[in-house]
Amino acid sequence: MYKYSEKDKQFLVERVDQFEKQLNRYLSGELDEDKFRSLRLRNGLYMELHAHMLRIAIPYGILSSNQLKALADVADKYDRGFGHFTTRQNIQFNWIQLPEIANLLRDLTEAGLHAIQTSGKATRNITADPLSGLTEGEIEDARPYCELIRRWFNLHPEFSWLPGKFKIAINGAKLDETALRIHDLGLRLIKNKKGELGFRVYVGGGLGAAAMVAPETASFVPIEDILSYLESAMRIYNLKGRRDHQKKLRIKFLVRELGAEEFSRLVDEDWQQTKNDPDLKLNLKELESLQEDFALPIEPINLDGFKDKVDFNYSIWKKNNVRNHKTSGFSIVNISLTKLGSAPGDATSEQMRILAKLADQYSSSEIRTTKRQTMVFPFVRKDQVFDLWKALEENDLASPHEGTLAQIVACPGRDYCDLAKAVSIPIATRVQERFNDMNKLLDIGDLKINISGCENSCAHHHIADIGLLGMQKKGEEYYQITLAGETLHETNIGKKLGPSVSSETIVDAVESIVNVFIDQRQKEEKFIDVFKRIGIEPFKEKVYG
Amino acid sequence: MDEIQNLTSLINRDYEQIPLVSFDEWIENPERHSRLGVGIIIEPKDDIYLIKDQLEFIELIALDFNNFDDGRGYTQAYFLSKRWQYGGEIIGINAHLDQLQFMIRSGVTTYQLLDSYQGSNEEDYSKGFSMCYQAAANNHGLNLQY
Repeated sequence: MYKYSEKDKQFLVERVDQFEKQLNRYLSGELDEDKFRSLRLRNGLYMELHAHMLRIAIPYGILSSNQLKALADVADKYDRGFGHFTTRQNIQFNWIQLPEIANLLRDLTEAGLHAIQTSGKATRNITADPLSGLTEGEIEDARPYCELIRRWFNLHPEFSWLPGKFKIAINGAKLDETALRIHDLGLRLIKNKKGELGFRVYVGGGLGAAAMVAPETASFVPIEDILSYLESAMRIYNLKGRRDHQKKLRIKFLVRELGAEEFSRLVDEDWQQTKNDPDLKLNLKELESLQEDFALPIEPINLDGFKDKVDFNYSIWKKNNVRNHKTSGFSIVNISLTKLGSAPGDATSEQMRILAKLADQYSSSEIRTTKRQTMVFPFVRKDQVFDLWKALEENDLASPHEGTLAQIVACPGRDYCDLAKAVSIPIATRVQERFNDMNKLLDIGDLKINISGCENSCAHHHIADIGLLGMQKKGEEYYQITLAGETLHETNIGKKLGPSVSSETIVDAVESIVNVFIDQRQKEEKFIDVFKRIGIEPFKEKVYG
Repeated sequence: MDEIQNLTSLINRDYEQIPLVSFDEWIENPERHSRLGVGIIIEPKDDIYLIKDQLEFIELIALDFNNFDDGRGYTQAYFLSKRWQYGGEIIGINAHLDQLQFMIRSGVTTYQLLDSYQGSNEEDYSKGFSMCYQAAANNHGLNLQY
C-alpha cells in the first residue's frame, strides 16, 4: 500500500506550522477575516452553523487501518466522537474548536493525513475509482497517475489562486465510478491504435445550479505530456475564468461562454509552447515506483473445494454487499454504515476502530471509501467472508443495505450546514422508514436516491436515479425531483420531473416514482432502462396526477 | 484594511528611480514610452499578450497583487519570466505576506509588501517549504521532488 515518505510527512508538518502562524495572526487581529477565510479554506477549514468544520483528504478513497485509527482518535479528542465520510473521498469533522486546529492537523501528519487543498479555489483532492486495481477489464490502475498529478498541483505557485474550485477525476476502469464528466476536469485512461497509453480529456463539467456534462477537449494526450496539458487548461482558466460573478466562477461557465471548441483551441495553442519542456514531462521512473507501491498486496489462491456457509441473513447481506474480485480466491466486501435514523456517511469513533481492527484481520489492513458513503474491504479471502460478516453483525455493522434503495446518499443538510436551504438527513430517514422491508428492498433492487440540501449539490443528486434538491418556498422546505441521472456507462444529468414537492409529501412522491418503476419494468431492467423506454410522463402523472 | 499604494515610480536594482505608467498608457503609445525609459504597472485584468513583442523596451514591470484572491498575477509572472524570458525586473507590488512564496516561484524577482505587513517576519513566508512538488518559473535553490 502506498504510504507517504518521511519527506512527505515533513512537508505536512511544515504546512501545519505555517497554518498555525496564520491562525495565530488571525486570532490576534493581525490578519483580516477575508484573507484568513481564503487561507483557512485552503487548509480544509470551514465556518459552519455551530462550529468549525474540517475536511481531511482520503486520497483515492484509500485508508490504512492505522489511518482509520488516527481518524477515530481525532473524532474523540477534538470532535464529538464521530466523523462524516463524504461523497468525494474526504472525511469531515463538524465540531472543531478553532484554537485546536493546528494540534489536530499535527496529530494526523504521522499517519500521512492532511487537509491541504480540500477546499478553496485550488485543485482539490483528486477522485479515483474506489475499486481501482480490483476489477476486471481495467485499462490501468489510475491511482499512480492521480498521485503524480496531485503532487504537481500541491501548492502550485501559478494555480493556487484560481477563479473557483477545481476538481479533477481520473478513471482507468471500464465503468465510470468516478463520474469524471461532472468534474471540472476529467481524465480517462485510454490506449490509442498503436497501443500507447494516454488520456482523453474532458473539461467543464459540474453539478450545481447549471449542471453540465464536460465536453471532450482532447481525444488523446500521451501520459508523459499530461502535466503540461493540465497546466495549459488551468492557465486559460486562471486568465479568462469569470471572477466578476460569484455564481459563475467555475470553469464550466468559461467553457460554455467560449464554446468547447474555442476553449480547446486556446488550451492547445498554449500547450504547443510547453509540451516539449523537459521540466513538465511526467516522471516515468517515479510512476513506476508508485505502480509498485499501489500494487495489490495479495496473490491468487485456489479455493476450488470451498463451500460457503448457508444462513438466511448472511445470504441477503452477501447478495447485496459482496462483489467479485479479479484475483481468484478473493472478494470485495462493501460495508454500509446506513442505519435507520443515522446520517448517511456518519461513523462513530468506535465503528472506525472496529473497522480498522477487522481490516487488519480480513483485508490486508486496507479500507476504501466510496462516493455512496460506504466502506469497502478490498482484499477479503472468499473463505473468510462469513467470519467477517459474523464479526460485522456482532458490531451492528452488517447492514445489508448496499446496492438497495436504502443506501441513500445525503449531505449534512440544514441541520449542520450554513449553506443548506433544507434538511437532508431527516428526509433520508423518512424514505428508509417507508421502505423498511428487506423483501421489498430486494425486489426493488439497485436504485439510487441522493438528497442535497441546496444547489451546491454535495450529495450529487443530479446523477442519481432519484435526486432530491432542497429549496425554500415562502419559508417552507420544498424538494425538486430529478430522475434518471447516471455516470457509470454514460454521463447524463437527471431530468426535472416538474414543480417542487413539499417536505410533507416528498416521501409519497418518492414512493410513487418507485411504484411506477416496479409496475413498468421488464425482466432485469434497471431504473434508468425503464426511464429511457417509457419517458418521464408516467412518473409525472403518478406524482402530480 | 490594506492601504493600497498608487505608485508613480520604483527604485530598480541599480538604485535608479524609474517612472511608472499604467498598462493602458503604455499601450496607447509604446514608442514614446520606450524612449522615456519607463516601467509599467500591470493589473490582473490587463492582457499581457499585448506587450509580448515590446518587452525589450520596458525598463521594469510591476505586477499588482493587491487583490488577495485574484491569481492572474501569477500567470502573468510566469509568462514574463519563463515563457518570454523578460530580462528586466518583475516587481510584485502591493504584495501580501502569505503569498510571497507563490509570487517568487512564479517568476517575480522582487516585491514590495503592503504597509500593513510592516514588522512581520518575511522569511517565514518567502522561503517556502523544504521541498517542492513541481517545477515552476523559478526553481532556484529548491529541493524539487516530482
